[in-house]
Parts: sequence; structure tokens; C-alpha cells
Amino acid sequence: METNRKRHDETEATINSGSLIKDSEVSPFFKDRTMQLLFTKQDVGKLSLSWFSPKFQLATLFCFLALNIYTFTQVNTMSYTEGVSEFAEIHGLSTPEDNSLFNQ
Amino acid sequence: MIETEFIEQLKNQTREAYSKLLDDFQQKVFATCISFVPNREDAEDIAQDVFVEVFKSIKKFKGDSSLSTWMYRITTNKCLEFIRKRNTKKRFAFLQSLTGPDFEIDKTNFFTEMNHPGVILENKEQNETLFLAINNLPEAQRVAFTLNKVDGKSYQEVSDIMEKSLSSVESLLFRAKKNLQKTLENYYKNDR
Repeated sequence: METNRKRHDETEATINSGSLIKDSEVSPFFKDRTMQLLFTKQDVGKLSLSWFSPKFQLATLFCFLALNIYTFTQVNTMSYTEGVSEFAEIHGLSTPEDNSLFNQ
Repeated sequence: MIETEFIEQLKNQTREAYSKLLDDFQQKVFATCISFVPNREDAEDIAQDVFVEVFKSIKKFKGDSSLSTWMYRITTNKCLEFIRKRNTKKRFAFLQSLTGPDFEIDKTNFFTEMNHPGVILENKEQNETLFLAINNLPEAQRVAFTLNKVDGKSYQEVSDIMEKSLSSVESLLFRAKKNLQKTLENYYKNDR
């Protein structure tokens, strides 16, 4: 009986012990550390192409696609022989007919 | 300064606003954290996470509750998140040890080491037992009991933070106390 009583008292004391806990002070460096954490994270975010917003990304993608489509259609419209002769001319591989001695 | 103006400054993420926020709330947030997790280092890490979360989600704050209530809600959630992670491995260890033949309380449960600066040395063992018993409570009871009995918040504050009516909070506290009595009586019975 007495043991039960003692156990009950012990239990009650433990439950109420929570209110005996005193206030504890946060570390004096807490504020500095937290401020540093908050604003370094933000700065890093700013540095890493934060100006490159989805609008710009979409515009860049459209430009890239338009340029590619234009180039592709240009290449396709040019005939093979035209292309080869233009290439040869540019690189000095073709000999124009009027330069020949036999033609003079 | 009016709270709405201050919140606007927080939304603009100015250094001055966060400096003031830390001045006003660091102690309160830390006190709540250490009430849930009785270890200084762990509590400070959680408190820091709270401020980072506030910084990230202040734009979502609609002003339905006061800033302090909103911050305490974040704090409570962060603490529960931390405890859940720590408990994953040993969720039923305390319960199992209660029912096991050789009773031994698992002291490596959800805090690395009892290191609460507000605990008096002569109460240390008792407080440690209490924290481990609280860890055995269902989450809502745990939150209500910790906020009211350990952190010292009023019923009204607990009700605001938990978004429950006063009568629900009273009922949660009543059930929490009953469950703690049962757990602790078993503990002291097996400890003898």
C-alpha cells in the first residue's frame, strides 16, 4: 500500500518536474550565426544567374530554335552542285575558265 | 512599428527587419525548441532552421494569425520533424523496454544527451525520465503537454498554436497526463 502511494507520489513529482525547469538563455552568437546563414544563402542565390528568369529562358529558347530552323531551311534550298562550287570558290580550289592560256 | 509594416519589411528581406526579428524572437523560439528537445546544440540547430523557414516562407504568410503564433507553429513543426527523424530507428524502444522482462529505459532516444541549461542537477534524472515518457505520447498530446507544462504557454496560446479549441486543448492535456501517469507508474514499478 505504502509502496503504491510512494510510486504515485514519485509519478506526480516527475510529471510536475517540467514546470521546475528554469528559463535558459540562447547562445550569444546565435543571432550572428543565423544572420550570416540567412544572408549568405540569399547572396549565393543572387549570384547564380538570378537575372535569368523563366521569361528570358523562354526567349533564348525561341531565338535558338528560330536560328536553327532558318539555317536548316537555307541549307536545304541550296543545291548540291551550287554548294560545292561555292565552297570551291571560297577556298580557291576552282580555276575560272578565263584564266587559262588556251582560252586566250 | 505596426505589425503589418514589419511583416512587409520581412517580405522585402531586409537585414534590419531580420535583425529585429531575431532580437524579438530568438529567445522565445529557442525556449520552445529546448522544451521539446532537451539538448542545447540540437535546440539551437532547430531554432536556426525556424528562422531560415520564416525567411523562405514569409511571403506565404497571410496574416490570419499573429506573427508570433505563426512562428510558434513553425517551431513546433520543426521540433516534431526533428523528433520524428530521431525516433525512426527506435520508435518503440521505450514501449518495448516497458513491457520487457528486464526493464531498462532507453536513454538514447530522441536527444543525443540531456543537456538542458535550465535543469537543476537534483532534478536532472526526474526531468530526463519525464522527457522520455513524453516521447511516448501521441503527437497532439505531446505538443499540448510540452507547450503548456514545459514551455509554460497559456491554454489560449496553445489553442492558437495548435489551431484547436480551448476544450480540445484541455482534453488533450487531461489525456496526456493520464497516459504519462500510466507510463511512469509502470516505469517506477519495474525500476524497483
